[in-house]
Amino acid sequence: MGDKADRSPKKKKGGTKDMDDLKKEVPITEHKMSIEEVCRKFNTDIVQGLTNAKAAEYLIRDGPNALTPPPTTPEWVKFCRQLFGGFSILLWTGAILCFLAYAIQAATEDEPAGDNLYLGIVLTAVVVITGCFSYFQEAKSSKIMESFKNMVPQQALVIREGEKVTINAEEVVGGDLIEVKGGDRIPADIRVVSAHGCKVDNSSLTGESEPQSRSPDCTHDNPLETRNVAFFSTNCVEGTARGIVICTGDRTVMGRIATLTSGLETGKTPIAKEIEHFIHIITGVAVFLGVTFFILAIILGYSWLEAVIFLIGIIVANVPEGLLATVTVCLTLTAKRMAKKNCLVKNLEAVETLGSTSTICSDKTGTLTQNRMTVAHMWFDNQIHEADTTEDQSGASFDKSSVTWLSLARVAGLCNRAQFKAGQDSLPILKRDVAGDASESALLKCIELSCGSVRAMRDRNKKVAEIPFNSTNKYQLSVHETEDPNDNRYLLVMKGAPERILDRCTTILVQGKEQPMDEELKEAFQNAYMELGGLGERVLGFCHVLLPEDQYPKGFAFDTEDVNFQTDNLCFVGLMSMIDPPRAAVPDAVGKCRSAGIKVIMVTGDHPITAKAIAKGVGIISEGNETVEDIAARLNIPVSQVNPRDAKACVVHGTDLKDLSQDQMDDILRNHTEIVFARTSPQQKLIIVEGCQRLGAIVAVTGDGVNDSPALKKADIGVAMGISGSDVSKQAADMILLDDNFASIVTGVEEGRLIFDNLKKSIAYTLTSNIPEITPFLFFIIVNIPLPLGTITILCIDLGTDMVPAISLAYETAESDIMKRQPRNPARDKLVNERLISIAYGQIGMIQALGGFFAYFVILAENGFLPSQLVGIRLNWDDRSNNDLEDSYGQQWTYEQRKIVEFTCHTAFFVSIVVVQWADVIICKTRRNSVFQQGMRNKILIFGLFEETALAAFLSYCPGMDVALRMYPLKPSWWFCAFPYSFLIFVYDEIRKLLLRRNPGGWVERETYY
Amino acid sequence: MSGTKDEERKGSSSEWRDAFWNPRTHELLGRTASSWGLILLFYLVFYLFLAGMFVLTMYIMLLTLDDYKPTWQDRLSTPGMMIRPKGDQLEIAFSVSETESWDGFIQNLNTFLSPYNDSYQVQMNDNCAPDQFFIQEDSGEVRNNPKRSCQFNRTMLEECSGISDRFYGYSRGQPCVLIKLNRVIGMLPGKDGQSPYVTCGAKRYRVEKEKDEWVNYTQPLVAVKFLNASVNTDISVECKINSNSLEAGSERDKFAGRVSFKLRINTK
Repeated sequence: MGDKADRSPKKKKGGTKDMDDLKKEVPITEHKMSIEEVCRKFNTDIVQGLTNAKAAEYLIRDGPNALTPPPTTPEWVKFCRQLFGGFSILLWTGAILCFLAYAIQAATEDEPAGDNLYLGIVLTAVVVITGCFSYFQEAKSSKIMESFKNMVPQQALVIREGEKVTINAEEVVGGDLIEVKGGDRIPADIRVVSAHGCKVDNSSLTGESEPQSRSPDCTHDNPLETRNVAFFSTNCVEGTARGIVICTGDRTVMGRIATLTSGLETGKTPIAKEIEHFIHIITGVAVFLGVTFFILAIILGYSWLEAVIFLIGIIVANVPEGLLATVTVCLTLTAKRMAKKNCLVKNLEAVETLGSTSTICSDKTGTLTQNRMTVAHMWFDNQIHEADTTEDQSGASFDKSSVTWLSLARVAGLCNRAQFKAGQDSLPILKRDVAGDASESALLKCIELSCGSVRAMRDRNKKVAEIPFNSTNKYQLSVHETEDPNDNRYLLVMKGAPERILDRCTTILVQGKEQPMDEELKEAFQNAYMELGGLGERVLGFCHVLLPEDQYPKGFAFDTEDVNFQTDNLCFVGLMSMIDPPRAAVPDAVGKCRSAGIKVIMVTGDHPITAKAIAKGVGIISEGNETVEDIAARLNIPVSQVNPRDAKACVVHGTDLKDLSQDQMDDILRNHTEIVFARTSPQQKLIIVEGCQRLGAIVAVTGDGVNDSPALKKADIGVAMGISGSDVSKQAADMILLDDNFASIVTGVEEGRLIFDNLKKSIAYTLTSNIPEITPFLFFIIVNIPLPLGTITILCIDLGTDMVPAISLAYETAESDIMKRQPRNPARDKLVNERLISIAYGQIGMIQALGGFFAYFVILAENGFLPSQLVGIRLNWDDRSNNDLEDSYGQQWTYEQRKIVEFTCHTAFFVSIVVVQWADVIICKTRRNSVFQQGMRNKILIFGLFEETALAAFLSYCPGMDVALRMYPLKPSWWFCAFPYSFLIFVYDEIRKLLLRRNPGGWVERETYY
Repeated sequence: MSGTKDEERKGSSSEWRDAFWNPRTHELLGRTASSWGLILLFYLVFYLFLAGMFVLTMYIMLLTLDDYKPTWQDRLSTPGMMIRPKGDQLEIAFSVSETESWDGFIQNLNTFLSPYNDSYQVQMNDNCAPDQFFIQEDSGEVRNNPKRSCQFNRTMLEECSGISDRFYGYSRGQPCVLIKLNRVIGMLPGKDGQSPYVTCGAKRYRVEKEKDEWVNYTQPLVAVKFLNASVNTDISVECKINSNSLEAGSERDKFAGRVSFKLRINTK
């Protein structure tokens, strides 16, 4: 359980300056230089590339083109962290105190009692075993992590000394001339020098879902926005490009983010803080008791050394030996349960964190959305039709009988260069891989789904000419033969930016009939275009025309360079709009988070309109809530006149975010319940997370891209996507959603909250038996009675009989709908609070102690030592040479004989604690409800009850136990001594919980509800 | 949430002071006076109730006990044995010539034997028939209590009685050691008319019969007188009870049915 920041000594030294530097935006300037300047800078040639000698020299100077892996913590450090972190410290302290006490005893007494030595050894063993356990548990998780790593070495095509060579991507150096084509991964940050229809997918870096075209011209000052730089580890989707490498390895944009991520230090997990708080309480109680009785012992006339031994003994007795193991096992069980539901937890403590989360900052692309362009709407026949965007095609369908739709489908299918990759016929259409850009793929899939094979359609309509899309035309067209073999006309199909397409049209197809494009229809078109654009969708217009046979007879030579055919007076067919749609389960999951009081913030690199549309679609901006801009638009007043407090929702642009002061930022986060951050850089994501944390929130971040990883690391819990997530993001995260399903987060929240409640119950149960374990020793010191309960029997309770019932409480079901309450307030709702201590120590524990003492007095009395005689008997009782000690009946006892009775008392006390713990585990099942409401359906708990009883009976009756553990068989009647007390515990707590439910917020709740 | 900033600005020392005594809310350790009063009252009532319950269960338990015989005696099946005089260790070491080295033993024996004086025994106890158990049965519901026990007169110890030799032979290098069997209620140490007897590690011994024991009971004793023990050496002596009805004691208990002690008589 340690903190999750991996720090290397190197980082610590020059750390702060480096980190500030990394938090700044990217310092690339090459995009503003001319190509010649770039060549000069790297001593390279635009045609020949680098010379081999130069390349070798640069390679030595700059090192290989690879990301330095985050400094991995050596295994032994990880192991030590498990061994000495958090709760273990308490046990270690206990063990050391035990050894100290034993050393004092060994130095001062002839025959020192071995108890302290054994206790010290057992404590050490418990810490070491638990440490090993959680170490292996986490090692298992990191093994799964290893498997994510893509081991295939990347190749790069470079031009050196005029020759094209394929080399390992690691050997690429600055100045290398590189060629990339569709499907390649870009091997370094490159300045594009020439490109042919090149598009890159920057989604892992910026979160933009649409591929960006690349060209040699500088289009923006910001290197991330300009078109002439392609970034390391992004993908080239289509086309080809040639470029000069400007940065390699850690100096690339991607490398800087990765370095920033691994350099971030993160705080303790909430559960670690809770455990720390718990340790403070326990230590406080222990030291208070210890010092009180130390003073008492001195007053009573014990020697200093004896008093010190007592002090240590009392402090150590307060250490709940079994709790470390219990907590670890409970967390592990939950981690396993979550792994079954596709949440892989890398760090055991992170299991609970989602439960405490009060804010989720979610990335959009790939997390909330499917990261797949899909046709969402169509406009034809003067009507907007909705297409099915769900993953499983369960959504609404539209009327497919219209002739206009068939024409639209034909245009979309023919005027489309995308095609399915071979060998995927068995896969469902939506799962198939497509070669081609995202929007064409979306169209292809849409048509394939509704009209059958596009390939067949293309075969029927042979393509005779094609003009691909370019940024000046803003359209794409192709000319085809018609389906009818008797019809010798050619069919021209065109798609492109809707306004450009409309300009070329004179007619429009309505209900299958061509009508002249009048003003009314134009306005309808404008409205539809605006509406679809407002949904954040990318809209394409489609038109066609059958070329007159007299002008373009069969065999006409279409020249696409110097266009020799009509490209206007076309017939407008319709609009189709595409979006990367939300995942099906997301709106529901967001709703659940809402009702669980968790604020969901969207933080994306994508454009504000798209972001807002998706936010509305998934409920991050809920229905009826408006942004400042919305209010302004509704009331028709300028934005500046709107009171920002009226708007619950807001969309913040990354460029605005840059200019915000910390106070303004806090203001936004505090006063808006529904926030979308768009166009954010990785550094800004980090700032947003820090802002939320500054306001006291426990922040979860979900994301899949490299751009998310600093935020993932900084968050209290980073959640990465298992399938689409990048390696860097998975490294930075604490939890991985193996199925990429945002809805799994809800499971995580639920499990986290449940384990927090159940840990409280486990701790309450375990701590209670501390009182019947300590009081015997206290009475032994104060009133000088024979010791009622020994160290061995205490260990038998803590590490034996208490274990299974305590763990079984982790299987307890929730008392009420935990997803309907607010997240816990880390400042107020503690894992262990004074009320829990009050109940466990002050009330239930005291009843338990009485039960134990009753059994103790019964056994001694029935053997002849009446309670009145016991007070003050200790010195004679423990005197080895006194072998004729008289009891109340005048019988005389040898040392060994009375010790056997004493150990029988220990056994009976032990059995009594088991008996009262039956009632304790039943009352700990619930914190508010009655057991009769909760039921006894927890099978593990029932097993635990039988198990602890069987174990107690075994320890008491197994032959040889008298020698091994000094435990003796009990007369059957002695088992029943504690029954009345067990019953009292049950009745008392049921009454308490009844009062609790009757008077919500009343005194009983304020003083006893833990 | 908005409070966090204010709290940060405050010094941590004043925070601590507030945690102890907050003058604004009049809270001592986070509670107001009435809050403290209520919780303390609750605990007072609660613990009084618990104490009552405990006393009740203890009272019921004590009712079930017999006044004259403990419920269980299975841990005393082999009675323990002890010696007199007894120091811190079971070691009798003295120099014949130095009076003060054995003076303590004499004192010890004198105190121990005073209840055995013949006058006292005759007054308190019955004279029982030798070699027979003196058993006083309850007759039905009527308990025969208190019971009488047999006489064990000091004179029966003869030379070791301290009457004829008031130094118990210590002054002459022939010390007396008294061996006694721990008292166990209702124990019948021999059956079929055979008396138990004590054997000691190859030295001179005397055997006295064990008697049944009741109130005003004085334990039967066996006196061992070392007539010509070798001087200036440690002598380990082990005495053992031999009875046909007592179980042999466990290995672990060095004093069940046997007793070992060390004797050293120095001449200088």
